[in-house]
Amino acid sequence: MKAMVIATLALVVATAAPALANAEDVANDISEHVMSPYCPGVTLHDCPSDRAVELRDKIKDRAEEGFTRAQIMSELEAEFGPTIRAEPPRSGIGLLAWILPLFAGLGAATFAWTILRKWARPPDRPEDYDPDVHVTTEDRRRLDAELAKMRGPA
Amino acid sequence: MTSLAGFGVPSLLAALFFAGVSLVLCLVGATRSSERATAAGRRAMAMCFAATGLAVVALLTALFAHDFSLAYVAKYSSRSLSGPYMFGALWGGMEGSLLFWTLLLTGFSTVALERARASTPRLVAWAGAVLAGVACFFLMLLVLPESPFTALLPVPADGTGLNPLLQSPGMLIHPPLLYTGFVGFSIPFAFAMAALLSKRLDASWFTSTRRWTLFAWSALSIGIVLGGAWAYTELGWGGYWAWDPVENASFMPWLTATAFLHSVVIQEKRQMLKVWNVSLILLTYALAVFGTFLTRSGILSSIHTFTEGPIGKWFLPFLALMLLGGLGIVLARLNELKSENRFDHLMSRESAFLANNVLFVAAAFAVLWGTIYPILAEVTSGVRLSVGPPFFNSVFIPLGLAIIGLTGIGPLISWKRMSKGAFGRVVRVPLAMGSVTILGLFISGVRSVGALLAFGLCAFTAGAILGEFSRGSRVYRTRYDVGPIRALTATIDRNRRRYGGYIVHLGVVLIVIGLAGGAFKTERHALLSKGESMSVGGYTLTYRELRQSSSPEKQINTAVVDVASDGHDQGSIYPQRNFHLAQRQPQSEVAIRTGPIEDLYVVITSFDQDGDAALRAFVNPLTWWIWVGAGVMLSGMTILLSSPGPARVRARVPREIREPAAATR
Repeated sequence: MKAMVIATLALVVATAAPALANAEDVANDISEHVMSPYCPGVTLHDCPSDRAVELRDKIKDRAEEGFTRAQIMSELEAEFGPTIRAEPPRSGIGLLAWILPLFAGLGAATFAWTILRKWARPPDRPEDYDPDVHVTTEDRRRLDAELAKMRGPA
Repeated sequence: MTSLAGFGVPSLLAALFFAGVSLVLCLVGATRSSERATAAGRRAMAMCFAATGLAVVALLTALFAHDFSLAYVAKYSSRSLSGPYMFGALWGGMEGSLLFWTLLLTGFSTVALERARASTPRLVAWAGAVLAGVACFFLMLLVLPESPFTALLPVPADGTGLNPLLQSPGMLIHPPLLYTGFVGFSIPFAFAMAALLSKRLDASWFTSTRRWTLFAWSALSIGIVLGGAWAYTELGWGGYWAWDPVENASFMPWLTATAFLHSVVIQEKRQMLKVWNVSLILLTYALAVFGTFLTRSGILSSIHTFTEGPIGKWFLPFLALMLLGGLGIVLARLNELKSENRFDHLMSRESAFLANNVLFVAAAFAVLWGTIYPILAEVTSGVRLSVGPPFFNSVFIPLGLAIIGLTGIGPLISWKRMSKGAFGRVVRVPLAMGSVTILGLFISGVRSVGALLAFGLCAFTAGAILGEFSRGSRVYRTRYDVGPIRALTATIDRNRRRYGGYIVHLGVVLIVIGLAGGAFKTERHALLSKGESMSVGGYTLTYRELRQSSSPEKQINTAVVDVASDGHDQGSIYPQRNFHLAQRQPQSEVAIRTGPIEDLYVVITSFDQDGDAALRAFVNPLTWWIWVGAGVMLSGMTILLSSPGPARVRARVPREIREPAAATR
């Protein structure tokens, strides 16, 4: 089962690739990755302003003319400044925006793992130890058998 | 003045007076163990609620009477605004929304204190003091910088009117639900602080407020989904969630509250994670207040944000006092908050819950960080940058997928410990369902890794949850020899907390399926003359004509668009582009044809004098499931809320104190 899951995921990751079919898809994708100069706090894609419509059309025209995504983004940045990009750069001050959640997540996971290991009971307890209910190994075996009987054939 | 507005300011002053009285009396009750003082403090809170209610009635009558001598009424209503939206105008502006917030706060406080009066008097007294303190803060805002009863001279003949975007049925429900959620968390927060202050750190603080927590969380959940539905049907950009700072402001407390709802179960069952739980509810309420600060300070730009006001500088000290005071008292009580038990094994439901908590809190932190980072960057380095949806999607989606996976794993693992073999047996069917789903989608041409993982994890989690229902009802059928439906309903009814929770999880799975469908959306934009067509997805849209009409509020321009799919006529749809006269503002009304497979979503972005129209059309697969999932969540929440509370954990009092007769015998 484990092998099947790993093989499935490996196949998916190895062969998956995003594909943008045409200029309009490229333009839509770009408009989702830039902030609107006309609607504060909203991407160009989501901005209802007439001027936003014009800018989206301009991006579409550029894409139809054969400009690449990177070229169009650079052109927009030159015209409207770096805040036009809807995500912080992966360098300089922008890098911190990306790495802090990562480090915080890893730190929290490490902390939780450490706590769990510390709090987990030491291994020198008897195998059938239970603080509240004293169940013997024989009891467990009988319980498993009864449950298996109740579930029916697998 | 043509209304009861004259009662507004005196009512607010009276409410502030009673809140102050309640604060003092509850403090006396708490510090001197005086039940009489506490009872009087409770009654003062009820009077505060009544006075706040009178202020709300005064503002509502001013709105309905078109009393434009009040600046608030002139700014947020007009003579042409229809009746139901007058209620929307109550919370459509900053001052009115703060008044509404305070009404909910004082009302909830009155009910919660009244219901809890039978429990430990000192706990109730401290909780009353905390709630009265919070009420004093909001009433001071309403009396000093943000009064909704400020006079306007000269009195205009008509008002500006409510923002057309807010004139939607959803806006009559969405904000009150969000406020109910935010304010509802005041109650568990106050009782948690009361437990710390009174050193009453057993289970009584969260058993007293369990229903309040669930109620607030349910209201916030449904409020958030309704906000998405409003954005989808009103804003015209084909989506429902934009990682807007105000959306984030509602989402952050939801994330930490969800973590709390899970971790408090561990405290209930194992008397563990006490520090974590009080910290989580403190964080949840702090984030709710922080969201209010974000919304009203004007510090962040957002389509939802109220105009820049002077109250930001009031909120920051309040927030700081709450956070630092709360954390200080938690630190002071660390010894009393020690866990009474330990984890038995890493492979246990406790571990899954803890992992789930780490993910939820990490997700809340990621959203908070992204929301405030532009301000931090500008303040610390002078660099201006944007943090928009691409950042949030990159950071949040992996965490969200991990949470969905854990939602499936959690119910499969038993409390205390589980052997690897036993886990392998229960996990194999859900795992097979997930793998088959991924393979099937991959073979059918799906190549988006995110979507494949999302659908696979949804199948896994759905399999795990349905397996729980199946196992539970099979036991019932075996024992009582009844039919499958009867067995299922009886199983749910006998353990509403557990199965209500599973139903909520199923709703979340359906919502994630709807969200994952967004990976396959198609969008097209075209300028069409009458008779011309455009294609989007599998549809052909033909623009037939533009019909014009008018109402007292707006000029209405309706496009008639014929829809065909695979050559078959599918009827017509009617998107509108209207012009609101009072606000002199255009607004698009979206035409949506919705279904389980996909939505066809058409907007007019503009039209010219010749009648040519610019149409923006989307095909959004599976969006329908988001709303269905929300309905399923709501039914699960209803079952959860109807469940009897947990058996009150007996205070761990030494036997000789609990049974003095026996001890002295």
